[in-house]
Amino acid sequence: MDILFLLIPLSVVLGLVILGALAWAVWRGQFESVDAEAQRILDEG
Amino acid sequence: MAGTLCRMPSVPLALPARAPAPAAWAPVLDEPEAWQEFSRRVPGSEDRWESYIAIDGMYCAACTLTIEQAIGRLPGVESVQVNGSTATARVVWTPQLGQPSDWWRALERAGYRGLPAGDELQAQPRHRERRRLLWRWLVAGFCMMQVMMYAVPAYVAQPGEMTPDIEALLRWASWMLTVPVLLFSCQPFFASAWRDLRHRRIGMDVPVALGILIAFGASSAATVDPGGPLGSEVWFDSVTMFVFFLLSGRLLEQRLRDRTAGSLEALMRRLPASVERRRADGSFERVAVRRLQPGDVVRVLPGEAFPADGTVLEGDSRVDEALLTGESEPLPRRAGDAVIAGSHNLAAALLVRVDRVGEDTRYAAIVALMERASVDKPRLARLADRIAAPFLLAVLAAAAAAAAAWWPSGPGHALGIAVAVLIVTCPCALSLATPAATLAAAGALARRGILVRRLEALEAAAGVDTVVFDKTGTLTRDRMSVTQVRTRPGVQPQEASELAAALARRSLHPASRALAAASGPGSWQASGVQEIAGRGLQGTVSAGDGQPARTLRLGSADLCGAPDNAGATAQAHLADGHGWLASFDLDESLREDALPAVASLQQRGLDVQLLSGDRTRPVQRLAGRAGIASSRGGQSPEDKLAHVRSLQAEGRRVAMVGDGLNDGPVLASADLSFAMGQGTPLAQSRSDFVVLGGQLDAIPAVLALARRTRRIVRQNLAWAAGYNAVCVPLALVGWMPPWLAGLGMAASSLLVVANAARLSRPDRVRPGLPPEAARPLALGH
Repeated sequence: MDILFLLIPLSVVLGLVILGALAWAVWRGQFESVDAEAQRILDEG
Repeated sequence: MAGTLCRMPSVPLALPARAPAPAAWAPVLDEPEAWQEFSRRVPGSEDRWESYIAIDGMYCAACTLTIEQAIGRLPGVESVQVNGSTATARVVWTPQLGQPSDWWRALERAGYRGLPAGDELQAQPRHRERRRLLWRWLVAGFCMMQVMMYAVPAYVAQPGEMTPDIEALLRWASWMLTVPVLLFSCQPFFASAWRDLRHRRIGMDVPVALGILIAFGASSAATVDPGGPLGSEVWFDSVTMFVFFLLSGRLLEQRLRDRTAGSLEALMRRLPASVERRRADGSFERVAVRRLQPGDVVRVLPGEAFPADGTVLEGDSRVDEALLTGESEPLPRRAGDAVIAGSHNLAAALLVRVDRVGEDTRYAAIVALMERASVDKPRLARLADRIAAPFLLAVLAAAAAAAAAWWPSGPGHALGIAVAVLIVTCPCALSLATPAATLAAAGALARRGILVRRLEALEAAAGVDTVVFDKTGTLTRDRMSVTQVRTRPGVQPQEASELAAALARRSLHPASRALAAASGPGSWQASGVQEIAGRGLQGTVSAGDGQPARTLRLGSADLCGAPDNAGATAQAHLADGHGWLASFDLDESLREDALPAVASLQQRGLDVQLLSGDRTRPVQRLAGRAGIASSRGGQSPEDKLAHVRSLQAEGRRVAMVGDGLNDGPVLASADLSFAMGQGTPLAQSRSDFVVLGGQLDAIPAVLALARRTRRIVRQNLAWAAGYNAVCVPLALVGWMPPWLAGLGMAASSLLVVANAARLSRPDRVRPGLPPEAARPLALGH
């Protein structure tokens, strides 16, 4: 059970890191035009 | 090629084909003061600029890639981002290396049209707001999931199974991930609640903010000191879930509003941008319209809009003033006549002296009238809001009373009950009841090509009892048609039609187009066709099979020596060497869907009326053909406004259907307004509904859906009231822990949303009836 004292704080830190990644994605405009990205894979040019 | 993936929408935007070709005025944009209107320096950079272009002709996501490639390869362009939902491109570029006009040409080669989008610079705060809400929603969603994970052990563990230190660890982990929710996600609730309190009002967000704060405060105290006065109960999972659900509703509403606003902004940019001005040496240069001054002489080509009010110096043409005066027939304009800004030159190039520009034009005056009318608009009280204020007060009072009553049994327990009361009665079901239903309805309408400008308008639409049509373009097609042919004895009507059509194909006059369309491609060929200014056409027609060529005249009665018959309709006449040959009665053709739409409205008990700026007799005739009993002709915009006001004074709820610029003030003062697709951008921007394809059956469909929406809203409100009536007492007596309250709130919200989602399904057609018979019934239920 003692391992939980490492794992749970680790999961909290991981959660905060993920929040940081979300912030980066939102504020850099990654969600502005989500429909276009689905088409990009079909584009040869 | 990405463009091949592009699918046309079922209802394409009606693009006026008469704006000047972009390439013609693109060089104007290379002047720095011109491109700086829609550009700004990239922050923190010396020579890089970002420019915004609105793009016409985008239909789907694949178009964005085509456009990015088309512009991205040009010299000086550093990067291009195209936003599919607003149809705008952001170009980062260096002025020393390239020129904006290159982009316009590249766009044109790729099959699109670009327009400077200076308003996009003003729209930046709105984009930031959209990102901010998305960020809040993502934080709440992610933290909610994680906090739930930490909360699960506490729910499933039997008493004594979890050691106190593990319990404390899980609490602290939950606390750590609830803090971001409070910091980032809850800010709109706190801000709005604070604003309400400062103005001594009560709003939906007051109990929400209070519930969140008390729950978080009490839980934090329990986390710091589990043995303290506030007990060991924590509700972090309830708080985060609650915030996530609330933000989901707001996000949905904002998405829909933005999509509607984006399409309308794209329409509003279609105003003339440049014009050919005469230089001192007699040559012409293209300049931006805002650089014109009274006294300048400009050349307006056929198909262009007049940039300012002015007087014709040279030329002989016809102009279309339908958007400004309501006059639907093209008017002749020659030297000495006045022309007005915003109207279109149809036939030949005109040399115009500019008399008034900008604010002084009639166009600007009409726009100003429209803005004043839209300020006057009576605010519609919203059903949910009326119920909400006393309800919210009662909730706050009940929570306080419960906390006071339970205080002796422990502050932690008492606060838990107060939070349960605040959350279980959470105005979620109540606040979602209206927006969820109106949003679902608006989505259903958008798929039919009907844009909703104001969501509140759906509420107003349910109560409408009078529908007023504006004639120009709403009930008629913008073409004339031949209704009757009379001929000289011995001449077949068919032959006369073919002869007339052969000549008429050489002219763009509306009457000519009607004649050309009325007859199939006959064997006759016209040659040497001359236009006789203001009167008609003359030319030689031959069949090419040995028959002698005939010289024909087509046009007014005196040109053709036609027998006088005072028909009410417009006429065109045909004559040959022997004199009068045939007469054609012309009339504006009624749209095919006008009659069924009017009948459907009348069947539903609505009073249908017709107002028009045209002459009284044609208006009455048209009303008769469409089945409308009450009509008025010769109405100025002020007359129409007065008429709508007098109807409203009788206690009627008026829906106005228009499409012209002069409708603007009337559209804005009616209880409800529709703009049909071919209307001017400005009129559309003020109307509640925009029908993109101009289909008239949209009006009964909108009114029917509005009534269904009202019924769903009432069901939702009834459910919310019933749910609260059961759950509040349970919470008050302490049988409802906060987690159950949160769950009940969530289930209740879900039910309300699911009920509202029924609106996005199309109308059911009742079985056993043919579609024609079933339709009014389906609309009526």
